[in-house]
Amino acid sequence: MQRISISRCASQLRAPRRPACPCAAANSVRRSTTPHSHRIQARCQSTVAIPDEGGLHLEIAANSGAAATRKSRPSSQPLPLEKLPSPHPSAAERSTKLHALRSRLSLPPRFPLQALARTLVHASADPNPAFNNASLSILGRHLLGYYTSEWLLCNYPRLPMPVVFAAVEAYIGPKALATIASEWGIEAAAEPGGEVDSGLLQFKRIASGDGLPEALRRQAPWKWNVTTTHKIMRTDEFGSTNAPPSPHALQKTPVPMEEAAQSFVRALIGALHVHLGSPLVKRFFRDHFLSRHLDISTLFDFRTPTRDLSRLCAREGFEAPVARLISETGRLSRHPVFVVGVYSGKDKLGEGAGSSLDEARTRAAAAALKAWYLYKPVEVTVPSSMEGELDTSKWRPNFVDCGEVIV
Amino acid sequence: MPLAAIKAVAKSQNGVGAFILPCRTLTFHYCNWWGSSRGMNAFLKSSLPTFAARNPQIEILVAPRPQKHPVIIANYINGSQRSICVKNLQNEGVREKAELLRGSTGEKNRKLDGRPVKSLNESVRGVWDPFHGSKIQI
Repeated sequence: MQRISISRCASQLRAPRRPACPCAAANSVRRSTTPHSHRIQARCQSTVAIPDEGGLHLEIAANSGAAATRKSRPSSQPLPLEKLPSPHPSAAERSTKLHALRSRLSLPPRFPLQALARTLVHASADPNPAFNNASLSILGRHLLGYYTSEWLLCNYPRLPMPVVFAAVEAYIGPKALATIASEWGIEAAAEPGGEVDSGLLQFKRIASGDGLPEALRRQAPWKWNVTTTHKIMRTDEFGSTNAPPSPHALQKTPVPMEEAAQSFVRALIGALHVHLGSPLVKRFFRDHFLSRHLDISTLFDFRTPTRDLSRLCAREGFEAPVARLISETGRLSRHPVFVVGVYSGKDKLGEGAGSSLDEARTRAAAAALKAWYLYKPVEVTVPSSMEGELDTSKWRPNFVDCGEVIV
Repeated sequence: MPLAAIKAVAKSQNGVGAFILPCRTLTFHYCNWWGSSRGMNAFLKSSLPTFAARNPQIEILVAPRPQKHPVIIANYINGSQRSICVKNLQNEGVREKAELLRGSTGEKNRKLDGRPVKSLNESVRGVWDPFHGSKIQI
């Protein structure tokens, strides 16, 4: 749930295609006199994704020395494909898997296949940030977190924060993204390399018998003082206690397939934002992510619902809740059933059935709390729907609630 | 903490938002010599380009399999594989089999006994409950 500014974070991702600004182009020309890695030069010669004339400009500082221009060393021999860490961008047009994947996801033909191929290359396969999906997956992660949390907060304004975090994780968490990638029919290459089909997910696998790598195992908490406010302001969109590893930090690290698959889905969102613009990303997000089924009422785990309910009634100025027995059967039998309603004055807040009076009362209080927390406004406009709109008459201010009960 | 949350993963409902065709690849195996793949060869020459153009989301592979009967092998999103032998079928018959594999979900064929519709949503009426509705006096 970090706050982000999306307007600035997209433009530099296209930098390999053309310099972001004249001064950047000048910088890259100047930098071209520095020693380069031989591999990068060979790859830049016949690339389709990087048809730059003046030079290649990398905003990412990690491999800034690796930038190369075609003019500087035009006569070096291209390396054999097996020496490349990931497939050449020019191989993307020939890959039937990529063509099929683009149509399967109903992406328009103007979305370049080279960009789609780049999203399939995890940083563990190719450490060069101009050819792997690390930067795109950072952008995609923030976009996904933004769209999901704004949709949840606008549609369920009274949801408690732990449930908001759990719902965000259910929609765009690591497991959900890995499931989505497999449902899109993504196959993984056995071993990444330049000769592999561009339509396969490229990442370095963990050798059989080895444990998780250190970068994924490290459990460094954000901070020892973990409050809800801290989770909202400082941690990621899932409110997790540990910082996830940065995509750039996973270079040459063997990773599990789930990690690579989730980075692909995020990078695809980032690439769609860069190449096709945010309206199409929002439509893609609605079709592929929000259309999934999640029953938010099953995410609640109340500890003392009766106490929460009486605090809620006190806060909202309702009369104190009273549990009354509505009906019962078989009190002295082996299977008694009691139906208990929770009333505030003459209003019934909730109703529950249980095999003992206490159980029924607890269920009734939980039902009443869920009825309060799962309130859904009828008409909702999310903030991102007004991005770039000149006509703001369609905007409806969203309902803002004071939050969950604090006991 | 008065309230904790349970971790879950949202379930896919293919076709509610986006529709992903379950058929991922179709492989057509033919033989140039045996007469049983005469219809398959005619299909590959005449009908396959239109079939492929109408189904761009399927990866189509054509491979010779000498001195064997012609066969169509389909791979599905859920990892399963289906194959149909199309020996001695004419062009139209091969196309029908390809359409059959294209439209399949890749799951095993099973009998739809009981309720043919499965739904994630609760029923509109709710679970039957002895304490509501019309009261029965005994």
